[in-house]
Amino acid sequence: MDMNSIPMVVRGCRLHPTQDVLLMPEGTLELNGPSRDVLARVDGNRDVAAIVRDLAQEYEGAEESEISTDVLVLLQDLMQRGVLRFRT
Amino acid sequence: MSTTPSAPDSTPRPLSLVAELTHRCPLHCLYCSNPIEMRRSADELTTDEWERVFSAAAALGVLQLSLTGGEPLIRKDLAQLIASGRKAGLYVNMITSGVGLTEERLAELVDAGLEHLQLSFQDLDEASANYIAGTKAHAIKIALAPLIRKFQLAFTVNLVVHRMNLDRLEQFIAMAEELGPDRLEIAHVQYYGWALKNRTKLMATEKQVHASLEIVAKAKERLRGKIKLESVFPDYFGSYPKACVGGWGRQMILIDPVGNALPCHAAAVIPNMEFDNVRAHELGWIWRESSAFRRFRGDAWMPETCKECPRKEVDFGGCRCQAHLLTGDANAIDPVCRYSPSHGLLETLRTAEAVNLPIWRN
Repeated sequence: MDMNSIPMVVRGCRLHPTQDVLLMPEGTLELNGPSRDVLARVDGNRDVAAIVRDLAQEYEGAEESEISTDVLVLLQDLMQRGVLRFRT
Repeated sequence: MSTTPSAPDSTPRPLSLVAELTHRCPLHCLYCSNPIEMRRSADELTTDEWERVFSAAAALGVLQLSLTGGEPLIRKDLAQLIASGRKAGLYVNMITSGVGLTEERLAELVDAGLEHLQLSFQDLDEASANYIAGTKAHAIKIALAPLIRKFQLAFTVNLVVHRMNLDRLEQFIAMAEELGPDRLEIAHVQYYGWALKNRTKLMATEKQVHASLEIVAKAKERLRGKIKLESVFPDYFGSYPKACVGGWGRQMILIDPVGNALPCHAAAVIPNMEFDNVRAHELGWIWRESSAFRRFRGDAWMPETCKECPRKEVDFGGCRCQAHLLTGDANAIDPVCRYSPSHGLLETLRTAEAVNLPIWRN
């Protein structure tokens, strides 16, 4: 995975419309801190760089480099949990 | 209505609602988890009654709805029920045998909002699979997989394993892979209901269980990133009990076809249980106040050994139905636990030599 990878949520997973949880077959994943904001931008079109740029605008004052580190760690974790894939 | 004092604010929030839409089913599996005494179809909850239950569940905090049976496809209003679940804000899962499912019907269900479908397989060999299911369903299930894959729908293949098919687990997993699921569940039979009646026929040998753990671990590694593999450990071979249904009255509500609310699939086997019905009571009251949900909630009911054990925060005292079925006392330590005085019983049951004739329902 790099800044040009395009993440997408796997079939059957979706964000809860109002609560900070990711819904999936027979399960839920609680989303802490900014992870909901990150996932809300995972649409299968934007690459990691675009997601980071977008978040940097939302969180004024935060360094883009810091945001990209956090985003990469989170996406990696979600991939390990099988709820995220990267478009090839 | 009850006059018992209100439960404290610490009443946990339920997360999942299991809706047993009907007990009617074309299959008669040797390990069916439905009660031995099944509910009549004439008494089943109506479309409107289910809709009210789904809204009430969502208001309590429930996120997941599992439509099951029996066979949910037998309900003619299934698409409507799915739509009601989605309208209430729930994630909608369906557990099905697939018997009777056509492309047209599936399109209707997906349009209504179905998000996840689980299909279970009895064996990889057709004759054996049909024998275990008590009907000719295997070929139908296999033919369904490519059909399911035409839709934007999460697909889980569930393999139910036991003595009769564990020796073929590797090939069984390979068969499941070819069906192209998103998830693969490997579940050892749990001994309640019909499975308990057939325990001597289904109980895996120690050797089979150990071999299966290795096969599952390897498959998990191999399929990582492609298929999410989840496995259910065979209870009788453990040293600590499972957190059955996430703890009694902590996460799950099951509504049976006629509207009775149960804390778990098997709760009716426990003597002196009284189940309140959604036709007579509001679901929130049932969850917070009914005697069935309060009976083993928290730790007040626990034997001293469990009360003092730090694992009570992990397994919440294990499985009450199992404690009753194996020791005759629903309040006893779950015999799967190494600290249970009846733990030795499992060794006897594991090595049971006698194999009886299978008993199918109907």
